[in-house]
Amino acid sequence: MARRTASGLARTRSRKTIIFIAAAAAGALSLAACGGSSSPSASSSSTAGIGSTTSGTIVWSASPIAGAGATDTRTVLISAFEKAYPKIKVTLVSASTSTDTNRATLATTISGGSATPDVYMGDVIWPAQFGAHQLAVPLSNYLPASYFAKFAPGLIQGATYKGKVYGSPLFEDQGFLYYRKDLLAKYHMSVPTTWEQLASDAKTIQAKNGIKYGFVWEGDSYEGLTCDFMEYLTDAGGAVTNSTYSKATLDSPAALKAVTFMRSLITSGVTPAAVTTFQEPQAMDVFAAGQSVFLRNWDYAYSYATTPATSKLTKSQVGVAPLPTFQGQSYPGYSNIGGWNMYINPHSKHIGLDLTFIKWLASTQAQDILSEQYSEIPTVESVRTSAAVISSNAVLAIVPKTKLVPRPAGTPNYPALSTAIYTNVNAILAGSVSPSAGLSSAQSQANTALASTSSGGL
Amino acid sequence: MTTISSAAQQPAAVAAPPVGRPDTNRKKLARLGWLFSAPALIFVAAVTIFPILYSVVMSLRNVSVTGSGINMTGITGANYSALIHSSLYRYALGFTVVYTIITVAIELILGTIIALVLERLTAGRGWMMALLLIPWSMITVINAELWGYIYEGTYGVLQAIFQAVGLGHPNVLGTPTPAIAGMMVADIWKTTPFVAIIVLAGLVMLPGDVYEAAEMDGASGWYTFWHITLPLLRPTLALALMFRVLQAFGLFDLPYVLTGGGPGTSTTSLAVLGYEAMFKNLDFGGGAAVATSTAVLVLIGCLLSLRTFRVQVGKENT
Repeated sequence: MARRTASGLARTRSRKTIIFIAAAAAGALSLAACGGSSSPSASSSSTAGIGSTTSGTIVWSASPIAGAGATDTRTVLISAFEKAYPKIKVTLVSASTSTDTNRATLATTISGGSATPDVYMGDVIWPAQFGAHQLAVPLSNYLPASYFAKFAPGLIQGATYKGKVYGSPLFEDQGFLYYRKDLLAKYHMSVPTTWEQLASDAKTIQAKNGIKYGFVWEGDSYEGLTCDFMEYLTDAGGAVTNSTYSKATLDSPAALKAVTFMRSLITSGVTPAAVTTFQEPQAMDVFAAGQSVFLRNWDYAYSYATTPATSKLTKSQVGVAPLPTFQGQSYPGYSNIGGWNMYINPHSKHIGLDLTFIKWLASTQAQDILSEQYSEIPTVESVRTSAAVISSNAVLAIVPKTKLVPRPAGTPNYPALSTAIYTNVNAILAGSVSPSAGLSSAQSQANTALASTSSGGL
Repeated sequence: MTTISSAAQQPAAVAAPPVGRPDTNRKKLARLGWLFSAPALIFVAAVTIFPILYSVVMSLRNVSVTGSGINMTGITGANYSALIHSSLYRYALGFTVVYTIITVAIELILGTIIALVLERLTAGRGWMMALLLIPWSMITVINAELWGYIYEGTYGVLQAIFQAVGLGHPNVLGTPTPAIAGMMVADIWKTTPFVAIIVLAGLVMLPGDVYEAAEMDGASGWYTFWHITLPLLRPTLALALMFRVLQAFGLFDLPYVLTGGGPGTSTTSLAVLGYEAMFKNLDFGGGAAVATSTAVLVLIGCLLSLRTFRVQVGKENT
């Protein structure tokens, strides 16, 4: 027994060492994920060749837009471009469909000094953050004001940070109200123009028709909730920050009105409680399965909700309209702006080619492909208002009638600001805090985000 | 009882201590050992120790991410003071600790019970083990997606079951406490088999003579379990505990897939917080501080439990 004890202890000791090493290795793993970014590199952004080079290959990073295989939007755009500029080749790098993953990849790649991707498609809310971190080339250094004047109003303002334009709008997106045409007709109702009317109409139809839900939207704890919230907030006459981004204004009566209404949709049974876990696909699915009278979603929801492969509904059942507003405000309500811009990597060795490609993507030809073939909302005003585009699709037809509001993305700390909004609004929707308590917590977190120089969001 | 003895006897007999090796020989062997493991050690150092140090350094400096690389200036405690003043960090820390304690405790208990059952199985043990290992062998992200379908609030499996028996509409992932509980269930489902396998290995190694002695002295099954099996299993349990704590403390995939840290911030773990600081806000200093503090806390936790474990073993044998 004594010998067993001794050897038992010895085993314990060596096992301790092994466990310690295992612990250290596991700790290292958790850190390695963070330490993996590269060390400073002294790569200078080359501006050589602008206007002089006309041939070469550039790499374009873009997340999937629509279509697949031969009809993939990106592939179609690239082949049309290569036909127009036969000496320039574009290599596609397919980026993540998750905006956050996409951003993380680009930020680490570019800050690591990589010359590729030369150009990338990025979210409309990135300009301030990417501009402040020098992860994108100020396009206004190269392109004249006349180039930016052709885009629809508000888009260039959203792509500007500290007086410089960082993104060239590729296609836009915005919030729409989708409704069951057949059900509204059956109960002799018109398309609601106020939120209050929407809620009561939904309730009536739920009671009479037995349809499960009245109104579905995006209420999960994520960026999409900030978009939805922005619409109610602006309709109620509120704003997230003051005009200089120095102070948050989320403790306003307008904000309280917005979140109180959103919460009341859930408590009154118009919106399912599970909306607090809904992102766009879940909301679209419920509507497309014929289980909701109304849906708030983006441009692409129309084809999703009217395509037999993804939906039980048909074009005769699905209507689209601008979003309603609160009683006493002028119709329509505000639609939040989403969508994608084109950016240039500061380390790109082919800025001349990059600019050629970006300018082509803003041409009538490219914008027509995006809108007429893929129903994306064009960013170029003349294309947007052209008869061909308006007649091509029910959603594009009402775009000129909508009122737009951007997210408060003019601060480099926008991600932390948005987190302050969507986490607290989500908690209010879930009923775990009262609307006023949730807003005061959002207010203080938003102020921390705005005030911080680096540690936004912690 | 008899099964235990027979199963435990064989390895005990095999594991006779090596005898009669001269000391010089042993030293030579040790040197040779170091020599052989040197390349691996250097590699490990390069891919683990360097990143660790880099992260620690980053957490102590003003870091800005720019197009021309990561700029670090000065020495500062600002990143850590931001952590201390952040209510979200304090919440994430509390959540991660509570989550770890509850899930690991349940996993150890369940895992031990399953191991005891498996150990007694005379037929089909291989099949049972294979079945048991399915949850463990699946990638957590896929596991999380599956649980996402179960918990989904409108067409989820749980939803259908609840509605079928008239229990209302559970909104598991959309309300804080159920979301945390649901995540714990998913975690326990996945990792209990891992604990069971480790404990089973420990059970098989237990010395048979002790059990024979206990049997001769007329000890009851319960008495034998509490006073012989459990104390002897302590090193094994400590090992399982260590692995699980290390892993549970780094909780990331489940909240990332299932809730994104929500509802509100109720399932924001330290790893999720660190990820958000670093890759969403591009706040590398703050993210590094979260990662470093997490690693330090885990190491302290491990060293403390190692200590307790050694003392207990010492007491056991004197």
